[in-house]
Amino acid sequence: MAEVRLENVTKSFGTLTVIPDLSLTVPDKSFTVLVGPSGCGKSTLLRLIAGLERPSSGRVRIGEEDVTGKEPSKRGISMVFQSYALYPHMSVARNIDFGLRISGTPHEERERRLAEAARILALEDYLDRKPAELSGGQRQRVAIGRSIVRNPKVFLFDEPLSNLDAALRTQMRIELAELHQSIDSTMIYVTHDQVEAMTLADQIVVMNKGRIEQIGSPMDLYDTPASVFVAGFIGSPKMNLLPGRAVGQPQAQTVGIRPEDVRVSEGEGWDATARVVETLGSDTIAHLRLAEVDDLTVRLPGHMRLKEGDRLKVSLDPDRQHRFDAEGRRMATAPA
Amino acid sequence: MTDTTMPPPEDRPAWGERFRRVATNGRLTAVLILLPPALILFTLFVILPLGESGWYAFYDWNGYGTPEDFVGLRNFEQMAGHSVFATAVGNTVKIIVVSLLVQMPLALFLALLVYRKTPTNAAFRLIFFVPYIMAEVAAGLIWSFVFDGNYGVTASIATTLGIERFFVLADRDLAFYAVMTVIVWKYFGFHMMIYIAALQGVPEDHIEAARIEGASRPQIVRHVQIPHIRPAIAVSAFFAIIGALQVFDLIIPLTNGGPSNQTQTIVTYLYEFGLTRLRIGFGSAVGVVLFVAAVLVAVFYQRIFMRKGTP
Repeated sequence: MAEVRLENVTKSFGTLTVIPDLSLTVPDKSFTVLVGPSGCGKSTLLRLIAGLERPSSGRVRIGEEDVTGKEPSKRGISMVFQSYALYPHMSVARNIDFGLRISGTPHEERERRLAEAARILALEDYLDRKPAELSGGQRQRVAIGRSIVRNPKVFLFDEPLSNLDAALRTQMRIELAELHQSIDSTMIYVTHDQVEAMTLADQIVVMNKGRIEQIGSPMDLYDTPASVFVAGFIGSPKMNLLPGRAVGQPQAQTVGIRPEDVRVSEGEGWDATARVVETLGSDTIAHLRLAEVDDLTVRLPGHMRLKEGDRLKVSLDPDRQHRFDAEGRRMATAPA
Repeated sequence: MTDTTMPPPEDRPAWGERFRRVATNGRLTAVLILLPPALILFTLFVILPLGESGWYAFYDWNGYGTPEDFVGLRNFEQMAGHSVFATAVGNTVKIIVVSLLVQMPLALFLALLVYRKTPTNAAFRLIFFVPYIMAEVAAGLIWSFVFDGNYGVTASIATTLGIERFFVLADRDLAFYAVMTVIVWKYFGFHMMIYIAALQGVPEDHIEAARIEGASRPQIVRHVQIPHIRPAIAVSAFFAIIGALQVFDLIIPLTNGGPSNQTQTIVTYLYEFGLTRLRIGFGSAVGVVLFVAAVLVAVFYQRIFMRKGTP
């Protein structure tokens, strides 16, 4: 197990700079999620840690060791790919112990580690099958099994759940969280899905255009987003981002309010009309049209019946507003 | 006793019903419109000549008039007893072996070097592919100049080294090695292109996963890339064997089958002892043997490589 440190890392492909200058510390035994929109550089960052890409400048350290120039296999890492990267001509067992075989690990040791990984991942009954004979979730487990047998210091995951359907994704999220608890090692996980980031991470790193927008625990990011970008990216449905002038706070360029922090009342407030209503059972998400601000999303209790065209009064919880300046950075003081 | 029950009969519609379905869903119309042109052309230019060739093989016929002198299996007996035919078959087998064991590995090796998409690799691919796009007769002539002991490259080498001039294509022991060298040079680019196309289809993350696992470059080739491109290797082997059975127009300008028939292949033998000597019946018998050999290769390929749905 080890801490991972990136020191002033830059990465360019030809004239295109993907990561301008980035420093990051991933604490030992943490589950750190790199999250951001497509093309933000999160997968490149993971590949730099894995050694599949070399940084244009800067250092990569795993534990106390500088691994910047080292081959991927010498870094003490393992990686689960988005496509799982299972070899179709090999059985599950051969896929899992492939690395051990080519490194000449003794037979008994190999069998022991294979059995242990198969037990952890409930793959005992599938060891003789080929990947084509497995479901998506089972393939995912085989890919994780291949990582586990290597006893790596750091596990790397590159969008491992994005090929699964919604139900399986939820199940695998739970299994990954349990895996982290049971093997208690450093895990770095890349995703563009903020729900995965919120549910799995001890630490979330939000990236945008190759730069780190904010690092923090899931609730830190949710409660105190450092920028308009983070405010809009973390949370589902996303935070309402309203012009400061429109909500009576001209000193702020943008005022953010989460859908659950919009109050719906009978008395005072803005007049609003329900444009679209999404009934989720536990919640009802209403997209409202207002004169003051064009659109406003509201999260209401599931039992609250609302339909398109209904009129209601809304107001913003003054204690739950987030104010951002013209550069999109969070403003320090809360509104009076 | 075990109580065995017969499986229920398949619930297949009657012939009349099946025909009615095909006739009404447009498939019959499509078949009636699209099949005849191909079928007529194939029959005219493949089936009929094949059948005619099989018929001529049993006649002593010079190609003029109607074959009338029926000789039974005599053409086949003469062929089987002819030492030059044995040499031709042996040479064809040698070409097959060299194609499989030298040409294909060489092509794979070069494909592994240049399959990634870079400008340098594209240039090398083009250079390696040039021999294949060159006409066989032209390639044969070029190499006949190279091997010319008076004015060719070998003459320059002999002069430079101060040794006696040598005539590779006129040497009974060396001529066929020279021919095989030219065959490998001429066709490796074709196989290399098949491998390049297949290698570019190997998912990059499979290779990266193997790198993370600690696999060396040769181990990645052996355990990841070659298993992935196995269908392409099978296709390449098929073309190599069928091509080797048909080698002709490279040899004619190089050696014309000589010296002393040492570089004959089945097809040059057919040409030399059948067509040029106006023994069309005999040549047809050789053609029938060649056709049977090609069909056997095709059937073998079909049974072995296409069994599990892989080409």
